[in-house]
Amino acid sequence: MASVEIIGVGMIPFGKHQERTLVDMGAEAAFLGLKDAGVKPAQVDACFFANAFGGRLFGDITIGQNVFWDVGINRVPVINVENACTSGSTAFYLAYNSIAAGQAELALVVGAEKLYVPELGLLNSGETEWETQLGQVVSTGFAMRAIRHMMEFGTTIEQLAQVAVKNRRHGQLNPLAQFREPVTVEDVLASTMIVKPFTRLQCCPNADGAAAVVLSSPKVARTLTRRVRVNAAVLCSGSYESPQDLTHWETDYRAAKLAYEKAGIGPEDLDLVECHDPFTIAEILHCEALGLCAVGEGGKLVEENQTMLGGRIPINVSGGLLSRGHPLGATGVAQIFEIVTHLRKEAGARQVERAKVGLAHCMGGDKAMDTKSCTIAILSV
Amino acid sequence: MMGSLGILTYFTNGGEVMSVAKITDIPPAVPGLFTLPPYDMCPPMLLGGFCQVCNRYYFPRPRYCRVCLGEVVETTLGSKGTIYCFTVVLRKAPLGLPNPYGVGYVDLTESGLRIFGLLDPAAIGRIQIGMRVRLAVAPLGDDGHGSPRLRPYFTPV
Repeated sequence: MASVEIIGVGMIPFGKHQERTLVDMGAEAAFLGLKDAGVKPAQVDACFFANAFGGRLFGDITIGQNVFWDVGINRVPVINVENACTSGSTAFYLAYNSIAAGQAELALVVGAEKLYVPELGLLNSGETEWETQLGQVVSTGFAMRAIRHMMEFGTTIEQLAQVAVKNRRHGQLNPLAQFREPVTVEDVLASTMIVKPFTRLQCCPNADGAAAVVLSSPKVARTLTRRVRVNAAVLCSGSYESPQDLTHWETDYRAAKLAYEKAGIGPEDLDLVECHDPFTIAEILHCEALGLCAVGEGGKLVEENQTMLGGRIPINVSGGLLSRGHPLGATGVAQIFEIVTHLRKEAGARQVERAKVGLAHCMGGDKAMDTKSCTIAILSV
Repeated sequence: MMGSLGILTYFTNGGEVMSVAKITDIPPAVPGLFTLPPYDMCPPMLLGGFCQVCNRYYFPRPRYCRVCLGEVVETTLGSKGTIYCFTVVLRKAPLGLPNPYGVGYVDLTESGLRIFGLLDPAAIGRIQIGMRVRLAVAPLGDDGHGSPRLRPYFTPV
């Protein structure tokens, strides 16, 4: 497959932006991405816009065309993408494919989401789904994965809490993260119980935010410095046969294997990872699936500070979803932003030293004991 | 949860107990997932699908067999199972469900399927992994707009 490069990234701070619209936030991220890449609107020949809840919350459709015209882009293909928490990384996957296939030379990906609205409640996969009607919310699946992991592997509640502590510590160093105050294991465990065994500080906060990535063919990228290569971009959906195992997350392992095969590298080659951590257990499970530790030892990995900045394999140095916040459509793009920032040595206080290869992992939605989608991108310089 | 004289009681958001009309007047939250009352002759059971060619059970019943795309006949999936895992939601109960409420994955005894379901609100303090449970059906929560709905849930045997 033809190679694809990332030539620009942009992101606005995640947090409460109550006075701003989705389009306004998305357009600013697009502007920042284009400026960073040093390209003009007329050079962009394909656009992908990611958002998950705009339709449900505001009744908006085809938001991408509004966002891209605000930065002077029209006439070219615009694709609006919804894939739950992986909406942004799915848009990235599509942009990658479109350049690799020779359909575009220079593609712009924007993810934006606005979740600070009154009475949002607990997020679910949609109220027509039978599982939602029987009380499933996004947190219940992860909660049961945590309970089984604790039972089968002896993972402790303190180890779960340490994921939140570590990611807050990372978030302190990221000016774009929503929550930047440090927390202790005691703080995490003493916060309000939401869904057993998760207390509030073990659940990612909602957020408003937007991020952008500019991709190009090597032909265009050759004229630019500070470029990052995309070694793999994969998208998988879940395994819906019954029964599924809650601790060995088959889809997670399958996506990791596929991404490593396509990139021609293994977990030992990675310098940093951004992974989907909406709840503390998720990061522990993904460490295992990505091959960063043995099965069942994800809790130990965080306890030994191996995934902390400066450790063997820093994970979620951005602060992750737990600290940065989780504006669904923007999250997958923000993860790419983070990896690119490190590979270009522009991450400031949170810079992972000698970062050459990074991996961004995201998951979205619930169906039949599994996720609806899982994305992985591997980037390098 | 059936009260005297055929009047039914159920839990609502906030834990209070309400009385409503006859159980047979209340629609299911999702049609086709479980047998409907009255349960004079046989206990409530889950409804699923079975492909006679592939010898496969499904829950809920899909339109086509996912292996051969052939016919899937409606079948009961029994009422017994074992708790594989469960959790308790303590905040922001949706759809008028009680606060807190429990959900879990249950391994169904007859079909071997592992399915998601609600747990008996009166028994969530007693539920444990590995516990044998049976299905019950009662008004539990609403349709999102305050009208009561029947929902299936698992309760300790």
